Amino acid sequence: LTFFFLWVCTMQHVEALEVLLQGLSGVPKERVRVHELCLKSVPMLGAVPSEVRLLCDLAQPTPSWTIRHVGGAMRGAGAEQISILVRTIVESKASSNVLRYFYGIGYKLDHEILKVGFAFRFQRGAQFTVTVTSANKMPKLHATDEAVQVTPGIQLVEITAPAAANNYNDVVSAVTSFCEYLAPLLHLSKPGNSTGIVPTAGAAAASLMSSGGAKTL
Amino acid sequence: PAMDAAAAPGAAAGGQQQQQPAPPRAERLNGEVQSQLNLEGMRARAVGLYKAISRILEDFDAIARVNPSGSPKWQDVLGQFSMVSMELFNIVEDIKKVNKGFVVYPRNVNAENAAILPVMLSSKLLPEMEVEETTKREQLLSGITNLPVPSQMEKLKARIDMIANACETAERVIAECRKTHGLGARQGANLGPMLDKAQAAKIQEQESLLRAAVNYGEGLRVSGDQRQMHSSLPSHLMEVLATGDGAHNFGDNSGAYPKNTPAFSPNNVNAQGNPMQASGGQLLGRSAPSPGTAGTPNFENVSTPPMPYANSPRSGTNMMNTPSPQQHLTPQQQRQKLMQASQQQQQQLRPSAAGMLAQSSVPQLQDLQGQAQQKVAGQQQMQYSQAQALSQFQNRQMQAARMQPGMSQSQLNQGNQLRSHLGQFTGAANSAMFTAAQASSNSQMMANIPGTMQTMQSQSMMPQMQQFGLTGGHPQRSHQMMTDQMYGMGGANTTSMMGMQMQQQQQQQQQGLYGNMQGGGQSLQQQGMVGLQNQQQNQMQGGGQSLQQQGMVGLQNQQQNQMQNQMQNQMQNQLQNQMPNPNFSQQRQQNQQ
Repeated sequence: LTFFFLWVCTMQHVEALEVLLQGLSGVPKERVRVHELCLKSVPMLGAVPSEVRLLCDLAQPTPSWTIRHVGGAMRGAGAEQISILVRTIVESKASSNVLRYFYGIGYKLDHEILKVGFAFRFQRGAQFTVTVTSANKMPKLHATDEAVQVTPGIQLVEITAPAAANNYNDVVSAVTSFCEYLAPLLHLSKPGNSTGIVPTAGAAAASLMSSGGAKTL
Repeated sequence: PAMDAAAAPGAAAGGQQQQQPAPPRAERLNGEVQSQLNLEGMRARAVGLYKAISRILEDFDAIARVNPSGSPKWQDVLGQFSMVSMELFNIVEDIKKVNKGFVVYPRNVNAENAAILPVMLSSKLLPEMEVEETTKREQLLSGITNLPVPSQMEKLKARIDMIANACETAERVIAECRKTHGLGARQGANLGPMLDKAQAAKIQEQESLLRAAVNYGEGLRVSGDQRQMHSSLPSHLMEVLATGDGAHNFGDNSGAYPKNTPAFSPNNVNAQGNPMQASGGQLLGRSAPSPGTAGTPNFENVSTPPMPYANSPRSGTNMMNTPSPQQHLTPQQQRQKLMQASQQQQQQLRPSAAGMLAQSSVPQLQDLQGQAQQKVAGQQQMQYSQAQALSQFQNRQMQAARMQPGMSQSQLNQGNQLRSHLGQFTGAANSAMFTAAQASSNSQMMANIPGTMQTMQSQSMMPQMQQFGLTGGHPQRSHQMMTDQMYGMGGANTTSMMGMQMQQQQQQQQQGLYGNMQGGGQSLQQQGMVGLQNQQQNQMQGGGQSLQQQGMVGLQNQQQNQMQNQMQNQMQNQLQNQMPNPNFSQQRQQNQQ
């Protein structure tokens, strides 16, 4: 799975980004509301602690759980040359018992985060998932209704696309070229690097918004 | 225009006036046609256009002769070209209004072209074009073919509107960016609105916080005493987290893992309501619910059905977890201090976090280390200057320009949604990108773009195609786009449908020559084609009418250099784009002789 990270500035720009993404993708946006619980294994369980994330999709009427394990990132000279982060990710749907199960086998809640936003899934050389969310933390445990933004006014834009071992170069180029379209509004970077803002973001966003927003099918 | 097509589909004779014209009777245009088409004016315009193009080509010739390696001033050339193309477009538009009343009558048939005439005049699609058309149609209508036709049309129309909207906004974005960077009006980088340093620094800091929170959970960890289970769990966790029995001391850090499962009681109030420190970076603690003590399996909790713990008092249940005894406190405190520091916090945090996790000095998750390094590197990149950002942006523009040619070809072979994106960046966008890529200043060209845009807004996507005349390869792409957009009109306009086929064909030919025109069966190409040396056999499909011959007849006698071909191609391509089915009167043909 390839991973691409960046961020976007104020709320105003988020809407502009939504307009742009809708136009680029041609699909209606999906609401995203995911309660992500990051569990870490107890060190006594193994030499190397492992981390697993449980994602509970709250956007659907019936919450659905997903287990996601994020593996190590691709390393080496090749990894540095390509502009996106390539990581191995294993995902699996699970029943609602999953949290209890992990607690039972020795995992502890490390942190939890609530991500609220929207996403676009479309095919464009690769199966893209572009997610624009605000990260919210919960003041009290599991209090998803009381979540407040970690960084008010700044949202996270993630662009991910799955890739196999033999075709990830194509996916990389597809993702990179797609991100060029977002250049007026954002800079994207690998998760470890910060990007700053695009000087034209304000003007670009204003012009995107002035048209009155996108129409939906 | 509601032509009286049934009465006079054939010759230019007025349909109302006679059925079998007496030979000496002068032919006149149908009244409606006449009212809508000023034939004399049209001819004058066409001739003028022809002359302008010839003049331009002569200029090229002159330059080439004088200085064999010289090239014309592209700025002027492009300006002239845009004028020419605009004029051509206008002519085509006018013709299109009345093309139903005309038919192309082959003239000047001789041995050479007699064989090809039936093919050119036929309106049936080539088999491969037909296949392509059906597949495209299926793609377009997939999913809504089961609905009644009007609703299908509505959906397609909505889709078109969405795409058009996105295109508009994208164009506006491009124009804005161009303005802020001074590309359109003048040379030199105009940095546009600048953030002051403080703002930029603050944004940087926020960004780092966000990344840390999402990637590593920094700032999200809740210290032990704040991990109380509060009044109500959200619904998705209600059934998930079972209650546990017994109360545990909050401060039980002796290494016995307190029971994890929190009590769920809608009425319980958090006894330890410590105010949360919401500021980022203040929340610490490695607390996490422990799965249970080593000795006691947790299953006793698991087995408890959800509801009973509605009333079970469970005071002091906490989510505090100290995976190991007090030794963690010091690293925690250490972390606290670090977190309160300035932006350097992350750098320092990484080693300490590493220290925490690797209790046995086993290197922790590979991820973390690698990411730590990445983060450090990222921090060093944080010297952020406007100039950098600007140059990055310009680079992106150039990269985008370079990448577009390679990219859009492959993408065009995919579904509709891809075409929408291409549509967005056509026109001004692409011109801007191409010119940026060519590293030539062409304010003239860009100035023309808004002009052309406005004049051609009536056709939803057509104006943008003109801009593709810059290089030979692009018109084909635009044809594809145009094709699909035309499809989107629901097939109501048959003429445009046929035009698409032409364009599809065009795309397949590398040289972007005349393409294949099908259908309608009328073509003016024969005249020009006969004369041109390097043209192979053209298959005319689609609407079958074209103005191609105009330019070509005149150009036969000139050197067939690359530029000419390109110009011709561009002309033709534009023609074919914009007038899929023009019907030209015979008089026009004759005039061209």
